[in-house]
Amino acid sequence: MLALRLARGTHPLVLLRRLLVAFASAGVGFLLLCALGYAAGHPDDSATATLRLLWCLVPLAAMVHLAVAVARTDPSTRPRPGLSAIGLGPGRLTAIAAASTAVSCTLGSALALLVYLHLRGDITGMPFDGAAAELLAADRPMPLPAALTLLAVPPVTASLAAALALRLRRPVPSADDPPEDGAPGGLPWGVALLAAGLAVEIYAGRSQGEAGVFAGWALTALGLAVAGPGLTHLSGRLLQSVRPGPIRLIAGRALMTESRRIGRPLGVVCAVGSGAFAAATLSVTIGPPAVLGAVLVVACTIGTLATAALEARHARTSTTTALLALGAPPATLRTAAALRAGALLLVLTPVTWAVAALAAMPLHS
Amino acid sequence: MVAPPDNDVLWARSLNCSLGGTPALSGVSIGIREGEILAVTGPRGSGKTTLLRCLSGQLTPDQGEVWFNSSPVHTMAPLQRERLRREKFGWIAPEPALVPELTAWENAALPLLLRGSSQQAAKTTAMEWLERLDIGMCARKRPHALLQAQRQRISLARALVSTPCVLYADEPTATLHRAEGAQFLRTLTTAARSHRITVLLATSDPEIATLADRAVALLDGRRVNSTGGGANGAEGVTACSLSV
Repeated sequence: MLALRLARGTHPLVLLRRLLVAFASAGVGFLLLCALGYAAGHPDDSATATLRLLWCLVPLAAMVHLAVAVARTDPSTRPRPGLSAIGLGPGRLTAIAAASTAVSCTLGSALALLVYLHLRGDITGMPFDGAAAELLAADRPMPLPAALTLLAVPPVTASLAAALALRLRRPVPSADDPPEDGAPGGLPWGVALLAAGLAVEIYAGRSQGEAGVFAGWALTALGLAVAGPGLTHLSGRLLQSVRPGPIRLIAGRALMTESRRIGRPLGVVCAVGSGAFAAATLSVTIGPPAVLGAVLVVACTIGTLATAALEARHARTSTTTALLALGAPPATLRTAAALRAGALLLVLTPVTWAVAALAAMPLHS
Repeated sequence: MVAPPDNDVLWARSLNCSLGGTPALSGVSIGIREGEILAVTGPRGSGKTTLLRCLSGQLTPDQGEVWFNSSPVHTMAPLQRERLRREKFGWIAPEPALVPELTAWENAALPLLLRGSSQQAAKTTAMEWLERLDIGMCARKRPHALLQAQRQRISLARALVSTPCVLYADEPTATLHRAEGAQFLRTLTTAARSHRITVLLATSDPEIATLADRAVALLDGRRVNSTGGGANGAEGVTACSLSV
């Protein structure tokens, strides 16, 4: 109840983020139901049905990533000294965050069920009644327990992941806390994964092993995602090197400090970009569920990145206040922010493009 | 509008200011002479910080005038006020309010860098000030690796590095122990006297107010009376001028 009560008084932007989570969860739920519909319609083709179900894991992972980022930035569940003093500490707030995540995801699942039944033709009276009856196997009865189990997957995974990610938050974050200094350790692992992925792809491509080529490509995408924080730190370090003025100094150091927070979602966006590049070079024709899945993945990763950027901005509030008290013009701070974005684009775009092009090469054969 | 007296570097008349509807200052008038150390005393919530923020142009008063060196601060555009803060004023807050991702010397050099001086010159000046304040050995450390007293001294170095006309110190020793606080204030006052920096020192401790040339007391947003400080006005200024 407290989760709902807190949600009622929150800022519209926060509610919008939760609505985005609900829509993402609805999309994932619908994809899961589509896989179920295919399985019900083709009882003798269980291998393809399993493959379809497994493909749903990619949008599910993107949705969970988004849900965790939204739960982390939710101001109503952020540990606060006032609430901690009355006994509503980090533990209880984590439970509230998990509950509100579950609420939005359940809303999404219910929406997915409604849309699914509507497109099957089970619920009538609106446009597009039974528009996808064939695709969703409308001639067969829907296995209700299976559908409910599948629809429970997004809320349960998202709220579990939110609870796990938020359980270690500090009760009262203060300015004296040591920032996470030093370069994040992901860069060597990312490069190693990239190299291993490319090698696997080339070897598998010679012996015409399709699964091997795909596994290699997936390794390169994973490598990009793992290398994200390291690359972000590197661009910050480059930005503030060689006699920096105040703008470059502030921008570069901020990027180095925020490399963990921003770098992970940025790495995932790079991996998705690499996937889009591979799909564009292969020019595969995909059905409507796959289009929905691709749109979901792209929207979720970009939403996660935007949420992480917002979180980083909130974390820098005290710094911004200190700089403004010194008389730093707001234009300087805006230029620094633009410079950060520019440096990230300048470093990450060529890297992603090169990796994507290299990784897409063996896919042709 | 009446032009301010010539010998006052900063001058305010009948300031009224409310914060979110709560009246913080009602009818406060004050004049600060050049090179003087003026203590603003009063308990918590008496409007000391609001007065300092109004005088430094961080807040615009609802009514009343603020003049700095014959230019009206209350009618300035926000950009002009920022420029004034950057070029002429220094500010020390109760908390050090350093930029956490910059090292000590970079924090201290920030006002000079923001004014557009070269990196080498800013570094040299900042390092000189850090040495004078006995924190030269911390110059390459980040703020989180330092003690509160060291951080507050970096904040003092940051305020002094650009040798401002007016230095606003808002309860600078509130988070320090007594010995560290006394040393901090001694350094602050000697530096201000040797560089002829006007200082506005807000404090709730009457003992600290005795370090100033003059004290102005606030209570519930009004001036109650003004008393002479411990030092004997302008005569004591040169005698106290140590090299800091």
